[in-house]
Amino acid sequence: MKDQMTPMERATALAKGLPVDRLPCNPNVANGVARIYGCKISELSRSAKTLAQAQVASYRYFGYDSIRIFTDLFPWAEAMGATVKYPDDETADLDQPAITDVRQIDSLRPADPYKDGRLPLQLDAMKYLQDEVKGEIGCSCGIVGPFTNAFFLMGVNKTLSMIYKNPEAVHKLCQVSLETVKAYAAAAIDLGITPAISEPMSSCTVVSPKAFREFSLPYLKELVDFIKSRGKGVVVHICGQTNKIWNDLADLGLAGLSIDNVASLAECKQLVGNKVKILGNVDPAVVMFSGTPLDVRYHTLKCILDGYDSPKGYMVMSGCSLPVDTPKENIQAMMDTVREVGYPICPERVAELIQDCERRLKQQ
Amino acid sequence: MAEKDALLAELARCVLEMEDDAVVNVAKEYVEAGFDAYEGITEGLAKGMEKAGQLYEEEEYFVPELLICSDAMYNGLEILKPHLKRDDSSKGCGVLIGVVEGDTHDIGKNLVKIMMETAGFDVHDLGRDVPVSEFIAKAKEMGTGIVCMSTLMTTTMGNMKKVIDGLVAEGIRDQFKVMVGGGPLSTAFAEKIGADAYTSNAAEAAKRARELVATA
Repeated sequence: MKDQMTPMERATALAKGLPVDRLPCNPNVANGVARIYGCKISELSRSAKTLAQAQVASYRYFGYDSIRIFTDLFPWAEAMGATVKYPDDETADLDQPAITDVRQIDSLRPADPYKDGRLPLQLDAMKYLQDEVKGEIGCSCGIVGPFTNAFFLMGVNKTLSMIYKNPEAVHKLCQVSLETVKAYAAAAIDLGITPAISEPMSSCTVVSPKAFREFSLPYLKELVDFIKSRGKGVVVHICGQTNKIWNDLADLGLAGLSIDNVASLAECKQLVGNKVKILGNVDPAVVMFSGTPLDVRYHTLKCILDGYDSPKGYMVMSGCSLPVDTPKENIQAMMDTVREVGYPICPERVAELIQDCERRLKQQ
Repeated sequence: MAEKDALLAELARCVLEMEDDAVVNVAKEYVEAGFDAYEGITEGLAKGMEKAGQLYEEEEYFVPELLICSDAMYNGLEILKPHLKRDDSSKGCGVLIGVVEGDTHDIGKNLVKIMMETAGFDVHDLGRDVPVSEFIAKAKEMGTGIVCMSTLMTTTMGNMKKVIDGLVAEGIRDQFKVMVGGGPLSTAFAEKIGADAYTSNAAEAAKRARELVATA
C-alpha cells in the first residue's frame, strides 16, 4: 500500500485539522538505519555524509514520518571530556566520564558545537539531511536533556548517590550540561532542524518524581522554553515508567510526549491527552525485535485503538529506539498496519482487526 | 538474645534507611558482642536490602535510594566478613559465578558469592556483564563444579540458556551443576532452560549448592 501524502504534507494537514491518508508513524529505527543502508554502526560516528545517507535510505525504504540525526546518548558529554567507545558494529557506549571527583566540577566547560567532539560532524550530517529531504519531511536531531547528560560527566552511579550526598554538585553538573545542549540546539535550529529531547535518567524507573522535579525539571524547562522561543516545537522522550511526571511534562507545553511501552498509553491519554500530543508505544524488544509480523500488527492495532482519539493528537511509535537487528519485516508490518487502518480511524474496524489477530495468534 | 535481635534489627534498619555510616558501628558492636557474622548478614544486612528492594517495587524507593542502601550493606559486610566461620565441608569444589552479559546489577551476585565462600566453596567471580564465551572458557578451565548465573533483567535472561547450551556444546554440561537466580527468574524458568536449580536468596543458594554437591 502506498502513501498518498509526504510526511510533511501529512503533518501540516493534521496540524490544521484537515483530512490525511493515515496516522503518522515512527518505528524509531535509530542505528538500525545502518543495516538498511549497508554500513557499520561505527561509520555513523565517523562520516557526516554516511550518517545522513543512512537515515535517508531507511526513511525512503519504509516511508515513516520522522527522520533524526542521532547516534547515541554521549556526544555532548564526550564534547565536554568524557570518553566513548565505538564497537565496530554496535551502538557507542560511555567509556569514562569527563571527571571522577566532585572537586573537578568547576573545570568543566560547556562544549562548543562547532568545535568539540562529534558535534560538528552531527551538524554537518544535518546539512546533508536537509539537502536530501527538505520540504518532504520535518528533519530533527536528538539531544539528551541536561539531567541525563550530567550522569555521563560524573559517572552514573556516583551521580545517583550525589542526589542525596551532594545535591549542589548535581545542580552544577546540570547547569553546565544545559549550556552545552542549548548551544547545540541553537546550532541545529540555525540549520532548520528541530531538536527532540531524550531524558532517560528522569524516568520514574530511575529517580523519584521528587528528585526529577528538583534536579531535572528546571533545566529541562529552560531548554524547552529556549527551543520554543526559536520557533520550534519540542518532543520529549523518557524511557521507563513516567506516569507520575506526565503532568509536569505536559505543562512544559511540548509538541509531543513520547512514552515507553512499560507506561500505559490509555492512561497517558486520559491524564494529559488534552494538553499534549502522545507518541508511542509498541514494545521495541519483545514485539518489534523478537516478535513476528503478526505480533507487530496486533500490538500496533492495540496502540492505535488506545491512542487515536487523544485530543491533542497521536503518533504511532515504538516505546523506545529499536534494537539494531530488528527484522525489516517487523518494521514493515508496523507501517503496513498503519496504512491499512487509514484515516479517519474507525474504532469498530480496528477492534475487528484486533480480534482477527487474536484468533490467528491463538491458532499458532 | 534480646540484644542480638535488637542489633540484627538495627543492621537491617541501617541498610533500609540509607545509614551508610552508622551501619559500621552497629556491625562492630555486633561482632564485638560475639554474635555470629553469618546471621548478621542473612538476618540483618540482607533483610534490610530485601526490604529496600520491596520499596523499589512499590515505587517508594528509586535507584539513588537503592544505591545508598547497597553502600550501607557493603559497609556492614566489610566489618562482618572477616568474622565468618568457614565451613570446610565443600572445600575444593569450584563455583563459577557471574552476572550474565547485558546486565550490571550485581548486588545479589555479590551476596551469593559471600555465602558460597562461607560455605567453603572456591569461588571464581567473573563479575558482571559477563559474555557467554567467558563463562564457557572458565568452565573448561575448571573442568568441574557449579556454575552460578544471575540477572535482574528480563531482557538478559536468555543469555543464561546460551551459557548452558555452550556447556552442552563443549560436552561438559554433566561435569557441572548450574544454578540461576535474580529478580525475574523462577523455578519454572530454570527448568525450561535446563538449569539444575533456582534459588530466591543468597543463603538459600549456598544451602542448595551444598546439597547439589552432596548428591553429585
